[in-house]
Amino acid sequence: MDTDPALPIPISYISGSYYLFSIDAVTYLRREHHICGVLIGTLPQIPQQNVFLAMPLQLMPEEARLLVDKGVACIVDEVKAHKDGMTSIMEEDRKRYLQDLEAEGLQAMRLQNRRKEQLREEALKNLDAKKAAKASKKAAQKQDNAAGDDFALELFAGGEQAQDAGPQRPTPSETAMAVTPSTSYPPMPSRPTSDQILPSPEVPSSYPLFAHLHTKGYFLSPGLRFGCQYLAYPGDPLRFHSHFLVVSAEWDEEINLMDIIAGGRLGTGVKKGFLVGGAEQTGPGSEDSVRMFSVEWAGM
Amino acid sequence: MTSETSSPSSNPPTTPAEPSALTTLISSAAISPTTPLSAATLQVLHNLQHQHLWTSLQIHRLPLPEAPPSSSDVSYVSSTATTAFVISGVPPNRIYTHPDEQLFMLERGLRDNDIDPERTFVLPTVEGQSWSLRKMAAVFDSLPQVNEGLASLAPEGGSKGEELQSRDEKEAKIAEYLEYRNSARMTNEWGGKRLLLSMVDRNMGGDGTVVYYVVQEGAVKPRQN
Repeated sequence: MDTDPALPIPISYISGSYYLFSIDAVTYLRREHHICGVLIGTLPQIPQQNVFLAMPLQLMPEEARLLVDKGVACIVDEVKAHKDGMTSIMEEDRKRYLQDLEAEGLQAMRLQNRRKEQLREEALKNLDAKKAAKASKKAAQKQDNAAGDDFALELFAGGEQAQDAGPQRPTPSETAMAVTPSTSYPPMPSRPTSDQILPSPEVPSSYPLFAHLHTKGYFLSPGLRFGCQYLAYPGDPLRFHSHFLVVSAEWDEEINLMDIIAGGRLGTGVKKGFLVGGAEQTGPGSEDSVRMFSVEWAGM
Repeated sequence: MTSETSSPSSNPPTTPAEPSALTTLISSAAISPTTPLSAATLQVLHNLQHQHLWTSLQIHRLPLPEAPPSSSDVSYVSSTATTAFVISGVPPNRIYTHPDEQLFMLERGLRDNDIDPERTFVLPTVEGQSWSLRKMAAVFDSLPQVNEGLASLAPEGGSKGEELQSRDEKEAKIAEYLEYRNSARMTNEWGGKRLLLSMVDRNMGGDGTVVYYVVQEGAVKPRQN
């Protein structure tokens, strides 16, 4: 289960956003690096719902940057990688890949048929057992009663047997199942070449605060739902409620005091703290540290 | 009220109305020079004293660092922004209990009013006042360390001992609590420096409302209220 992906994990950069397509990478990053991202794959039949979302995973630029800075991931120009990959595939490779896919589909179909067969046999066995129990009960009754029912019973039994024989094993259709792989390698090269790697992602000025909270062990997710920049969870969001509504400001940025009051009031209303912070500019050239302040309603 | 308003109407040469209690308070106060911020400070102090029944109220001046040279509006930053006022006083009840502290007290059967309220700092602000992280940090930096400054400012509690002499057990628990609180203050386990941010509304006619928010340094987990 714990299949760790090869590092650095390639993050696909597609038209301004950062995506992950490998489930191994997603689980690994969540488990080891507290990066959750947002699942954006929806059901093709019900594309409007957002309750059951699946791969791919979209990352905030801050998350992508953090992973690159840690050396865990690299940013890949997906369009270029795709084009390069497609041109590098030979005709034979393509054919072999298609054959592999078909073989995989056949295998899947066979497995499914075998499972169906097993279920059917089990069901039949149960039915036989039931019938035998019924018959023995009936036999006991028959000794008391007249033998008139005998014929009818046999007719019944025969009828049931005939029904059983009716849909007799449809020969497993040898059509292969359609397999849609979630990743584009093996046919494409799985590791990006150096000319497909992009520089570190551009991040908003809130990145120092983001990184600081992340190093403190918080899981951060986008904060739109609570009208803030990030939501900070003290552990995995599946297990914890968030602790803070996080808003970042620059060191000399004018803060409207009313925003602090509004944030504090909203945070208290949803049992969270309102956290405002940013990178401290102590002087030119000195290393920036992050200062932050938590705000709660005082109740008076 | 009605008699006051009716008398000028019967007597045409009107006299100017008496200034409001707040204006009287502000103009008679000893803070000088009178600035918008000092007036707000007095208003908050008045509110704390008479609405929230705080005691031993004091006003402290905090020198704030100059605004950065990049700031374009020099005149705006000149005098008022370089001094901030902070009020300190003793509330009638505890204002803030950190969730871990609350758990610690619960485990020992201590109630909020078993522990004397502490001197708390209040930062008066006015709606629309210019504010930034730099200023907030400067205010926090100039507050005394929680474990040093507050002890010297704490009010002398003389009667506490007599009440509890019969209940040695409780006293021991309170002593245990106080001891742990001192160590928790060294490690910021129960939160670091904190103050109350108070804000006065001036734009909407000034109905006298003052709101109070607890501001703490660092990421302090929220209370379970």
